[in-house]
Amino acid sequence: MTAATPTPPATSDAVAPVIGLSGVSRQFGDLWAVHDLSMDVPAGTILGLIGPSGSGKTTTIRMLTGTLQPSAGQIRVLGEDPAQFTIRTRERIAYMPQTFSLYPDLTAGENVGFVASLYGYSWFGRRGRIKRALSIVDMWDKRGRLARDLSGGEQRRLELACAIVHDPAVLFIDEPTAGLDPMLRRSVWDELRRMRDEGRTLLITTQYVAEAAYCDNVALLADGELVSLAHPEELRRSVYGGDVLEVEADGPVSPDVLANVPDVSSVRQAGPRRLVVVVEDAGAASPRVTDALSSAGIGLHSLQEFQPNLDDVFTELVARRRASNGNGRHAA
Amino acid sequence: MLRNFWRSLVRVTSFLGKELRETLRRPGILAALVIGPFLIMLIFGLGYTGARRPFEAEVVVPQGSDLPRDPKFYEDLAPGRMNVVGVTADQDAAAQRLRNRQTDMIIVAPPNAQDSLQKGKQAQIVVAWNEVDPVQDQLANLAVDSMVSALNAYVIKEVAAKGLDGAGGGAPANLSPDLIAHPTTAVTKNLAPSSVNVLNFFSPAVLALVIQHLAITLSALSMVRERLSGQMDLFRVAPVNAVEVLTGKYLAYALLSLIATTAVGAAMIYLLHVPLISGYLLPIGIILLLTFAGLGVGLLISLVADSERMAVQLSMLVLLASVFFSGFVLPVQDFVGPVQIISYLLPVTHAIALLQDSMLRGQLFQPWMLPALAGIGLALYLISLLRMQSVLKGVGAPARKRRLVPLFGSPPGVSE
Repeated sequence: MTAATPTPPATSDAVAPVIGLSGVSRQFGDLWAVHDLSMDVPAGTILGLIGPSGSGKTTTIRMLTGTLQPSAGQIRVLGEDPAQFTIRTRERIAYMPQTFSLYPDLTAGENVGFVASLYGYSWFGRRGRIKRALSIVDMWDKRGRLARDLSGGEQRRLELACAIVHDPAVLFIDEPTAGLDPMLRRSVWDELRRMRDEGRTLLITTQYVAEAAYCDNVALLADGELVSLAHPEELRRSVYGGDVLEVEADGPVSPDVLANVPDVSSVRQAGPRRLVVVVEDAGAASPRVTDALSSAGIGLHSLQEFQPNLDDVFTELVARRRASNGNGRHAA
Repeated sequence: MLRNFWRSLVRVTSFLGKELRETLRRPGILAALVIGPFLIMLIFGLGYTGARRPFEAEVVVPQGSDLPRDPKFYEDLAPGRMNVVGVTADQDAAAQRLRNRQTDMIIVAPPNAQDSLQKGKQAQIVVAWNEVDPVQDQLANLAVDSMVSALNAYVIKEVAAKGLDGAGGGAPANLSPDLIAHPTTAVTKNLAPSSVNVLNFFSPAVLALVIQHLAITLSALSMVRERLSGQMDLFRVAPVNAVEVLTGKYLAYALLSLIATTAVGAAMIYLLHVPLISGYLLPIGIILLLTFAGLGVGLLISLVADSERMAVQLSMLVLLASVFFSGFVLPVQDFVGPVQIISYLLPVTHAIALLQDSMLRGQLFQPWMLPALAGIGLALYLISLLRMQSVLKGVGAPARKRRLVPLFGSPPGVSE
């Protein structure tokens, strides 16, 4: 698979990637959970690892944190091989596993304190950190409640507080919003983006395709392979080959009317009075489409840019990949 | 009504099927439930000799006594109950050897048995032993009774033989019938420094069993829980090493054991009035060593247990084995050699002997058990440390198929 470095955000150009994978594979028995994965994550960005269940997201994140060794390929995180992380590097990364992995019989504050102590913060040194971490996830008021008595969403936020208590530079977060209601998901993502704005690098897995919109770049995984790696908008464009305009005329209209308009890549009839037009750039092409219709004596009822649903985009991309691969996961 | 009954029956069978399937799919638990206790009983049955070791007795025959000096003579007086290891004239030295538990019993023969009988008095034998075990105390009494009966029969036989030979003219004519029937009598004495009773003897043993079980169960459950809940993944990523994880856990459980010991020990000493002759320091040291070793056993269990249920089951098996083989019920010496190896591999075997010695006698008569207990703990700690180190480094070689239950790590299989 060809490495596809995503477009870096404006704040971090010319910065070396914090996370890099090159030809990484992981085999379990006869099955390739991850196959030939290559990508870079620049500093200060959020990379969303998105894919259906069993697509290799958690395996990838475990390899990146050094809890699982790759069968092949090379991984660098903060310039080091995760299998050989130094203590100093470990102090700069955080991992939030997919399953609830805190201590149910400890209070929220004690759980965060325990994790802070794992990073070497003494009782005096961690008090402020516990307060800050719990406040960030809006859990300070619940610091005295046992973890087992917290709701699912609160437990997830508590885990996030544990992950950030030591002020990490890189966060690996596995399914942070799994099982949360939409409001909580939104608040968790707001928090994650705030961390990104502080300069941290985040690699986040999610099954919710719509959450790709919160990411700076999205790596779409399917069957252990990287299907696509780009900015979410780029992914949208990649499905259709450009921007998509929906044209609705006052009367019957034929695709031929727009066939020779500059910038128009293709035109599809979507109804007697409706056309779907793929263009290079929606902003530049819209006046030309309007002019062409007007020249042909066709009244324009509406013209708007079509924003395909990300679910549809990913479904389409995965379907294309499976079709080209013969619809199967790699066998050894 | 019949319909409701039928549906209720179906609901019952749903649980029946579910429980059976769940249990059958965990062969380890089945093995622990069935094979474990069976094996323990089998080893117990095959390994128990059924006979108590005879008392190692030393006979003191004072200078000038006309009694025989052949050990076999005395051994034959209580066959199978006594093994006469020597005959001496030095009573003080023999008593010292008894105090040092180099022998189990001393038998002091009367210096002038013949004279006593001539004067119409019973010849008095002094028998002393040094036992805190009430069962051994009873057995010593039985051995002495047996010996005195045999000795009386011997004396009567000798006197009668002399009389028949016409040499009995020296025997006084005014012997009482009681003296004729019992020419010798025994005065017994237990030199144990504390009073011999069941409560005193078994209290230190119960304390040792409780502490070992507490340490094993807590550490096994803690590790299995952390492994199954994914907390190990956090430790792998965090800048924490195996020594730090294990040392922290050991310290925590040592503290808990000390608290439990303080509570149980205080109840024993102040409510039940169990003696504490050695003072506090030695028992505390023994308890700490026992905790250290017990935690190691718990960690060993967590290496093989694939669920909390199995960890508890295996902990119970260790408790069962401890009750049978540790000397709690039967002395370790009553088992055949190979089974004694199992006994001495159990930390509690050493702890029971050490605690009984220190609390009830005030000194250790098997001091080698202290380093043995420490050695068991250290060996288990090192095994756990090596395993923990490999776990914290991450899941092993990628191409390897992990057929066995993972130790501290996550279960094998395809992650998402």
